[in-house]
Amino acid sequence: MEKRRVNSMAMVFSPCFSPLLFLLFIVGCTARPLYPLPSKVAEGTRKPLQTSRPYNIAHRGSNGEIPEETAPAYMRAIEEGADFIETDILSSKDGVLICFHDVTLDDTTDVYQHKEFANRKRTYEVQGNNTTGFFTVDFTIKELKSLRVRQRYPFRDQQYNGQFTIITFEEYISIALDATRVVGIYPEIKNPVFINQQVKWPGGKRFEDKFVETLKKYGYKGSYLSKEWLAQPVFIQSFAPTSLIYASNLTDLPKILLIHDITVPTQDTDQSYWEITSDKYFDYIRKYVVGIGPWKDTVVPVEDNYLQTPTDLVAQAHSHNLQVHPYTYQNENQFLHLNFHQDPYQEYDYWINKIGVDGLFTDFTGSLNNYQEWTSSFSLNNSDDRASKLLHKIALMVTSYEKV
Amino acid sequence: MTSSFGKTCLVTFLLLLFIGQCVGRPLYQLPSTIAHRHKQPLQTSRPYNVAHRGSNGEYPEETAVAYMRAIEEGADFIETDILASKDGVLICHHDVTLDDTTDIANHTEFADRKRTYEVQGVNTTGWFVVDFTLEELQSLGAKQRFSFRDQQYNGKFPIITFEEYISIALNARRVVGIYPEIKNPVFVNNHVKWADGKKFEDKFVEMLQKYGYSGSYMSKEWLKQPAFIQSFAPTSLVYISNLTALPKIFLIDDVTILTEDTNQSYWDITSDAYFDYIKKYVVGIGPWKDTIVFPRNNYLDRVTDLVARAHARGLQVHPYTFRNENSFLHFDFLQDPYAEYDFWINKIGIDGLFTDFTGTFHRYQEATAPLSHESKDGASDILHKIASLINSYTRG
Repeated sequence: MEKRRVNSMAMVFSPCFSPLLFLLFIVGCTARPLYPLPSKVAEGTRKPLQTSRPYNIAHRGSNGEIPEETAPAYMRAIEEGADFIETDILSSKDGVLICFHDVTLDDTTDVYQHKEFANRKRTYEVQGNNTTGFFTVDFTIKELKSLRVRQRYPFRDQQYNGQFTIITFEEYISIALDATRVVGIYPEIKNPVFINQQVKWPGGKRFEDKFVETLKKYGYKGSYLSKEWLAQPVFIQSFAPTSLIYASNLTDLPKILLIHDITVPTQDTDQSYWEITSDKYFDYIRKYVVGIGPWKDTVVPVEDNYLQTPTDLVAQAHSHNLQVHPYTYQNENQFLHLNFHQDPYQEYDYWINKIGVDGLFTDFTGSLNNYQEWTSSFSLNNSDDRASKLLHKIALMVTSYEKV
Repeated sequence: MTSSFGKTCLVTFLLLLFIGQCVGRPLYQLPSTIAHRHKQPLQTSRPYNVAHRGSNGEYPEETAVAYMRAIEEGADFIETDILASKDGVLICHHDVTLDDTTDIANHTEFADRKRTYEVQGVNTTGWFVVDFTLEELQSLGAKQRFSFRDQQYNGKFPIITFEEYISIALNARRVVGIYPEIKNPVFVNNHVKWADGKKFEDKFVEMLQKYGYSGSYMSKEWLKQPAFIQSFAPTSLVYISNLTALPKIFLIDDVTILTEDTNQSYWDITSDAYFDYIKKYVVGIGPWKDTIVFPRNNYLDRVTDLVARAHARGLQVHPYTFRNENSFLHFDFLQDPYAEYDFWINKIGIDGLFTDFTGTFHRYQEATAPLSHESKDGASDILHKIASLINSYTRG
């Protein structure tokens, strides 16, 4: 027995083994770098962000097809041509930033099927309303990850229900960075008043601090249209002006002030719609934001499901050098005002050409992309092409006669 | 003195009147009398945009406004269903009953006209068009069938006649085809009798001929006044083949429905043998689209060879019906009606389609397969003019 042990020991140090180890060492060092991760591909080879036409902002990913704010919803949106993928950032109980729209899990997850969480139902005041449900701030990230997301609207595809998880802010960022072309992110500092009340971070850090920290960790910086920004585009959005102002001290990244319906005051400053859309307020807020994100029915009011005379909100914003990105565009006819004849592309046409917005939050990235691709290549270029072709023909004819 | 003066006055007056009558009207030609060569012709280079019951996505179906709107939006053909009134006038109306698309329920004077008849084997109760004279029918107001579409025009427009529908097409500024259906002929012939033993089909073709519709598919006459005659009843189509060469389309219902006249099943009338037979009488088929590609759980599931077999026999395929609302769109299309058009035109390869949303389909076609307008109107003409100008200068 001892002899055998000695033999096996000898084998380890035999001439066969070390070349093997050496080979392994070489392979280990060289193999991986032969195939760089997409996110490490030199930026120059990636198709840049388009900036010549209104931004196609994939609202919660392609949530018309796939449950909102999941990895597949974002990847699908990128596939369909989104300029930006949009998300809402909330927090788990243990302070991990997650991508999730509602403060409660009830409408978009299977939390009700998890008996282990049955006793977690709570009632909190959220933006002045008593709300009952399962709150994200009462679940650790591990618990949240045990849930599965489902499609919010019953008239949309239900086949992916229960298949995908909630993702973190970091996972969302890596989806954008790993895309084969430059894709921007558009995260929202969501319900910051509520989050800061319910979740505490060490070092006295606030929700807004952690939010910006995460962006900086992944190299997001630079003012709007700067070189760094174009390499990794991002808009920070929020309904809470003080959060945006606070974030302004931490980063130059462009910010968008979201504006709710006319009946809803701001959650942090309790200001009315009329106040925050006044000239005076625009003069003030433009120091901190590059644009506004209004609810589209406040830009063009609606009566009996017909559009009325548009307000001058867009002109007013533009005169203050503020972009306008209204929300939300949805294909389903119940969301389309009758002027558009049940045709979502007619809605895009109106908002882009008649109202002149700078970006749109849409649940149907593919449709907006289709519309934009068709109208940019067919309407203008065609007639220009024909005209110049004719001119060339005429020029040729004239010169042929001159020579004679 | 007065009498001779009076006579001269009268004569002069009559003379002026006579001159006025002869000269006044012809100075302003009716649009329909404009020489046809000035009208933009029917496009034949891409699948036909058939405005199903007019632009009924926006206006109540089969009304004058629905048809005019469809023409405005670029329809190649405006489609209608022909039924008959009690006094034998051919009208444009889809349902044999008036309940769903008119305000008949508000007309207390007709409250006692409700009946129950057997229609295609099914006992149906309601107010039947065949129990009302034309005058009574035109006292009703059409309403939008679907609650999720615009209701603001309810009660405003009347039912129109076959003749009124034809004149809408003929009065358009470009060539617009018609696509009328011999609808429920078994039922109509049971309930309405015409003089001289004429049948519904006879009166139908008579009307077309009265307005100059003639010629086989793609003939010179046909291109001036295009028309497809459609029906679910094969014997009606065979019958009228003896009366007119106009192209006919054989409509095919869902797999569970039998033909109303010959009691044949879907499988029978879509067999190779039947196609070989019917192709002598029709130029194409109009199937329900879910029988070309069967859906499952609101996803497209199984593509049949129906289109291939029809095409192999030179039969066109015009499926029905395309609608924008997401409740009608299978999930493959991502709630996007344009994606549906794209699939049917490019993947399945159909020759025309019935749509409730003419405008949307037209926009899709213009974006993906625009017609070259150059040769039609201005550009080449201008070029020629410039060329002749240059020519005239070189000669000088």
